[in-house]
Amino acid sequence: MLSKFLVLAMLVHHAYTAEFDTTKPIKLSGVLTKVEWSNPHIWLYLDVKDEKGNVTNWGFSASPPGMLQRRGITKASLKLGDVLTISGHRAKDGSNNASGNVVTFADGHDALIGQDQALNPTLK
Amino acid sequence: MRDLRRFSILFVLLLVVALGLAAQSTRSTAIPRMPAGKPNFTGVWAGPAFLHIIGPSDTDTPRVTNFDRSKMASFQPGAEEKFFQRPTGDPRHDDPTELCLPDGHPREALAPYAQQIVQTPDTVVILYEYMHFFRVIPIGKPHSADVEPTFMGDAVAKWDGDTLVIDTIGLREWTLSASNGWHSDALHTIERLKHIDATTVSYEITIDDPKIFTRPWSQTFQMKLHPTWKLFEQVCEENNRCQGGNCKQ
Repeated sequence: MLSKFLVLAMLVHHAYTAEFDTTKPIKLSGVLTKVEWSNPHIWLYLDVKDEKGNVTNWGFSASPPGMLQRRGITKASLKLGDVLTISGHRAKDGSNNASGNVVTFADGHDALIGQDQALNPTLK
Repeated sequence: MRDLRRFSILFVLLLVVALGLAAQSTRSTAIPRMPAGKPNFTGVWAGPAFLHIIGPSDTDTPRVTNFDRSKMASFQPGAEEKFFQRPTGDPRHDDPTELCLPDGHPREALAPYAQQIVQTPDTVVILYEYMHFFRVIPIGKPHSADVEPTFMGDAVAKWDGDTLVIDTIGLREWTLSASNGWHSDALHTIERLKHIDATTVSYEITIDDPKIFTRPWSQTFQMKLHPTWKLFEQVCEENNRCQGGNCKQ
């Protein structure tokens, strides 16, 4: 169960809506194939298999490394080959990229790894 | 005789409890101070852009924070359009930080990243984790005579009792916050930092932009000291994908 304080978090270095379409939520499960543990956002890549057995590699943009480290999520905790479920919003350009907001690990526990634009206060 | 003994024991117990409560009260209100007595803000802080709901692993939840529209003063004639500029599709205009351009003051203070304050008797240094910006702020000195507008501006500080007052001018026209209101080059800010307790500071910022607003307006946030935190490296250019919404590159 994702705790309340985690749900409220939103971690971006720029305008989230410039890159991701908040009208297109996405939730995919797959095998972790690559981790880019770098600023300004880490990227996780999953091999996602569809119902026909076709495999597509998806990229997910999440929080910067420092923010994740403060919450106890390290590069070592993201193991290649693990099956993860990641939810977020699709990239605006229609590519196989998305924001990675919440990850569900193989043991069933959730962690906020990224961005939640739904609670972004806007000026107008 | 027995009653007197009982009374004495009861008196001593009450005295111990009272002294304990008094000591606890003193501890909770004591704030860190410099040797000369002024408050000391030195340390790593979860700044205004944190929810301050402490969770596991000593976290303090960061959140992109903007100024509250209801706190703002009314606009000067024609200035609302200058403030709320329409998106053009060019990241350099729509959100310069998307290209890793600086966010500048005061947006930097509202970035959801840690900030470290290093204080000496005559200087306050604020180190911002986000994009590695810094402000070296002399205490008790006037502004430079010839200030060229910059992203972080020209800042000086003074004491108002136990409140540290930081006055900033010389800011180039830039975004005021993450939601992209554009301030003018006449922006002048006044930040007031005052301890609420040993680990909590009230951060009030006044926005005085006579080209945009009809009067100065203020908003107050809180900062929380995190003795276990350190600043992390944050190099925006390292792997800045999806610029302008183009993730295919």
